[in-house]
Amino acid sequence: MAATTSSTSSSDPSPGPEPEPESKPNRSSRKRRTEPVDNPEEELVLGSAPADAEDGDDGDSEDSEDSVYSGLEDSGSDSDDSDPESGDEDRPEETCKDEGDVALDTEVQTEKNLEPQKDEYEQDSSDEEDIRNTVGNIPMEWYADFPHIGYDLDGKKILKPIRTKDELDQFLNKMEDPDFWKTVQDKQTGQDMVLTEQQVALVNRLQKGQFGDVNFNEHEPSVDFFTHEVMIHPVTNRPSDKRSFIPSLIEKEKVSKLVHAIKMGWIKPRRTQDDSRGRYYDLWASEEQGKTRDMRMHVPAPRAALPGHEESYNPPPEYLMTDEERAVWEQQDPIDRKLPFVPRKFSCLRHVPAFERFIHERFDRCLDLYLCPRQRKMRVNVNPEDLIPKLPRPRDLQPFPTTQAMIYRGHEGLVRTISASPSGQWLLSGGDDGTARFWEVSSGRCLKKVEVGGAIKSAVWNPNHNLSLVALSVGSVVLLVSPPSTAADKQVVTATERLLSDEVEPAAGEGPVVWSNAEGEELHQGIRMKIQHPKPVTQVTWHSKGDYLAAVMPDHSSHLQVLIHQVSKRRSQNPFSKNKGLVQSVAFHPIRPYFLLATQRSVRIYNLLKQELSKKLQGNAKWISSLAVHPAGDNVICGSYDCRLSWFDLDLSTKPYKTLRHHRKAVRSVAFHRSYPLFASASDDGSVIVCHGTVFSDLLQNPLIVPVKVLKGHVITHDLGVLDVTFHPSQPWVFSSGADGTIRLFT
Amino acid sequence: MSQLQTRFFTEDKRYVVDDVPFSIPAGSEIQDLSNVINKLLEAKNASHKKVDFDFLVKGLFLRTTLILTGSYDKTARIWSVEGKAVLTVAGHTDVVKDVAWVKRENLTSLLLTASLDHTVILWEWNSEKNKVKARHCCRGHTGSVDTVATDPTGTKFCSGSWDKMLKIWSAVPTDEADEIEEPADRPRKKQKTQQLGLTRTPIMTLSGHNEAVSSALWIDSDEVCTASWDHTIRIWDVESGIMKTTLTGSKVFNSISYSPLCRRLASGSTDRHIRLWDPRTKDGALVLLNLTSHTGWVTAVKWAPSNEHQLVSGSLDNLVKLWDTRSCKAPLYDLAAHEDKVFCADWTEGGLMLSGGADNKLYSYKYSPCQTDAGA
Repeated sequence: MAATTSSTSSSDPSPGPEPEPESKPNRSSRKRRTEPVDNPEEELVLGSAPADAEDGDDGDSEDSEDSVYSGLEDSGSDSDDSDPESGDEDRPEETCKDEGDVALDTEVQTEKNLEPQKDEYEQDSSDEEDIRNTVGNIPMEWYADFPHIGYDLDGKKILKPIRTKDELDQFLNKMEDPDFWKTVQDKQTGQDMVLTEQQVALVNRLQKGQFGDVNFNEHEPSVDFFTHEVMIHPVTNRPSDKRSFIPSLIEKEKVSKLVHAIKMGWIKPRRTQDDSRGRYYDLWASEEQGKTRDMRMHVPAPRAALPGHEESYNPPPEYLMTDEERAVWEQQDPIDRKLPFVPRKFSCLRHVPAFERFIHERFDRCLDLYLCPRQRKMRVNVNPEDLIPKLPRPRDLQPFPTTQAMIYRGHEGLVRTISASPSGQWLLSGGDDGTARFWEVSSGRCLKKVEVGGAIKSAVWNPNHNLSLVALSVGSVVLLVSPPSTAADKQVVTATERLLSDEVEPAAGEGPVVWSNAEGEELHQGIRMKIQHPKPVTQVTWHSKGDYLAAVMPDHSSHLQVLIHQVSKRRSQNPFSKNKGLVQSVAFHPIRPYFLLATQRSVRIYNLLKQELSKKLQGNAKWISSLAVHPAGDNVICGSYDCRLSWFDLDLSTKPYKTLRHHRKAVRSVAFHRSYPLFASASDDGSVIVCHGTVFSDLLQNPLIVPVKVLKGHVITHDLGVLDVTFHPSQPWVFSSGADGTIRLFT
Repeated sequence: MSQLQTRFFTEDKRYVVDDVPFSIPAGSEIQDLSNVINKLLEAKNASHKKVDFDFLVKGLFLRTTLILTGSYDKTARIWSVEGKAVLTVAGHTDVVKDVAWVKRENLTSLLLTASLDHTVILWEWNSEKNKVKARHCCRGHTGSVDTVATDPTGTKFCSGSWDKMLKIWSAVPTDEADEIEEPADRPRKKQKTQQLGLTRTPIMTLSGHNEAVSSALWIDSDEVCTASWDHTIRIWDVESGIMKTTLTGSKVFNSISYSPLCRRLASGSTDRHIRLWDPRTKDGALVLLNLTSHTGWVTAVKWAPSNEHQLVSGSLDNLVKLWDTRSCKAPLYDLAAHEDKVFCADWTEGGLMLSGGADNKLYSYKYSPCQTDAGA
């Protein structure tokens, strides 16, 4: 049975002058009469106690402690009833049951009493042990009942001093002995001892509440452990709260609200800035690389040549120069000399003169170091031939026109324009002599001549196979002329007749254009219809269907520069409401409803259906002269007066895919072949350059452009060479018309 | 010049000459012979008036060679070898592109003219009255008819046109017109005036060329060979109307000629070369020989009718050349008479070479193995 009761009073270990045991907890002795020791300060574990028990002064505390420990006992007896003398304990148990509140109070009390028990040995220190008594630092009360007070070093009992003095003696002693007031009993040894002056002084100081150490300055200037200033680091080392470990419900609610708002699109999350894209300049990004490259490319300084036998003061005779060698050496340039000096022989070192070339040699060496390349130059050894792009040889690109086959003579003056009939049998030409001529291609014979009374600027054969009609621009009039009736099938001729003789009332709105039928002599010549324009017309061109006809009237100041006529309805319209520059040339797209318009610097492509600008090709030409569209429709070539020919790939870019500068003078006209991969440009230098231009159906492959032939033949007249060029519709032949009044066929 | 020993016979008592061999120049024409007889008769009989005689050699008439030409002045003309214009055939409304004889009998001959006005006209020429009459106007082409050729039997002819078609026609004159659908709205009067002979429609139309047919000829009585601008020479079976062979070249063909003696085709094209082909190779482009000396398009080639090695060619470089296929490097002769483009060349039965050109002249050339002689 564990009696876990505690002593009440705390014992002061300091050598106090009056160690008096005031309160003796001896309830244990009450409980157990047989207990040998009743320790007033300490309670003991049973069984280890000394044998004989004697209740000396139990009585005084008996009453007070009785009820106090009943509760404790009760709890203890519940667990273990093996106590042989349980009879005594039954009683307090019962009382305890009656008064539970008291029991609780006592528990509290016992807890209070338990605390000082811990401190009992706290001040224990073996160092302070009094070596005269070996019992150690034990409560001397334990030896109260014994005649001795402990054991000395030899194991002999130290007997208590005989205290025979009664109170009278004490009083007398007190009166007589002047040191009585400072005589204390040494508990260890039981001897009386007189305190020294110092000890007395110490006691006095302590009693006054002063520090024991005289030298201790209690008013030293204080150094703050914590400064009064606000610091950044926390002062407390307080552990984190639990709430800091668990997710916050409030925050969760806030986050869910934001998430919902983002989902609904009410708020947009901030765009994360992309740091990789140059927000911070990486100062050393290229440093490392450059450094390593420098290291790699480093060239060590040239080493000085090691001295050889020639430089010896006493060289072997084969190193010495013969007279011829010396003569040669003197004749040579200093640079060409194999040795910069003449080896000489001396019998002994003493005869060697001063080295007169020392300064030169040092200087050369410094020059070597200074001028030596410190970096390896990465010289690319490329054969210039390899830099030329691999183009197929022109011979492999046949057929293309190579030789002049026929000359169509008859025009007097410039032949400004030519056009081949869709069948390829006829050629139409118009010139400054005011005639339009129809030539038979195969024989070179002019079969029909139409006098129009003015220089013909443009003549175009209608590309529609089912119509036999040509358009001529003369001054400000556009004439629709019938070719010779045998130039086409009779049914085609009648269809054309029907189209032209249909009485269609012109649209009500009076436009700037007047349509009229030709009569009399003009009709006899074949002129069928006249379209009077307000300004001189420089170019006419047909749509591939043959019903629409575009006429160009260049004018800086007006938006009326292009008119599109519809022959079947005798209707004209001006597609553009703004002046975007002087119109040079126009063309209809061969397939799609696009209209190409070349101004001086750029080519605009308009979508006629949507009526909007679909693309603007920006060549680097100064002044575009002519324009031609590839029959597949995805490529455009432009000739310009600054000798260039620009090839635009509409799928690729608005910049020229390739610019050819083979002409030495202004390019006047360009043309595509309808079926062969050929295009040609005519220039004022009197030449026609035929180029091969394959357009691949594979979009990944760029067009292959190879100049294949320069065709010469036209005589330059009045600084004008070839004025127009056109291809035969079915054969790889090209017609050119020149200022010398001839038309030439190259096959 | 070689001399011939000749005897003259006649059944007419008035013009009997002595039955002795006369030695006359080998190149003598009918006129020369007639002069000889007249002189003999005058020597016998002073009252003899000059008579033009006809001569039979081994039962065949010794005929005057006549030359038929078509011109850009819309007419065709018949010329004698001496250069005398016999007849002008006018009627086409446009350029005559090609002409051909169908047959020549005693007094009436049939001739063909092909024109740019899409028609071929079959004419009947009465040489006695020197009158020509359009028998048939062959309509059907929708483009310029560039070539006509009569078959060896003289009953059919073929024509090739710019409309890519080859048409076979009957060459026998009849008195019925073939039915042709004329547009109903056409003015009757206009139709009448345009009617030049009876309208004839083709027996057969052979299509296959992709470009204009520039030259056509008969290889034998049921095989036609055509050359075209689509760079091919095709051989057609006229009986079945199918194409038998295609020879593919690289240039436009202007003219072809076939020699039954050596059975080769010669072609002139829009480059400088004359090419010889073997038409019997199947679907091959086998060029047997290149004859290159011209400097312009070769517009006309013609094999000699009696010599399997000779051919004549005309070109845009104003030259006519006589070739021998055994010396293919250079021509035998350059005949530089024309002042402008040469468009046609031919041989006469008697071995004369003819050429016509853009200078409006028709030249004939006489060739003998030792020397040549050119005359207008």
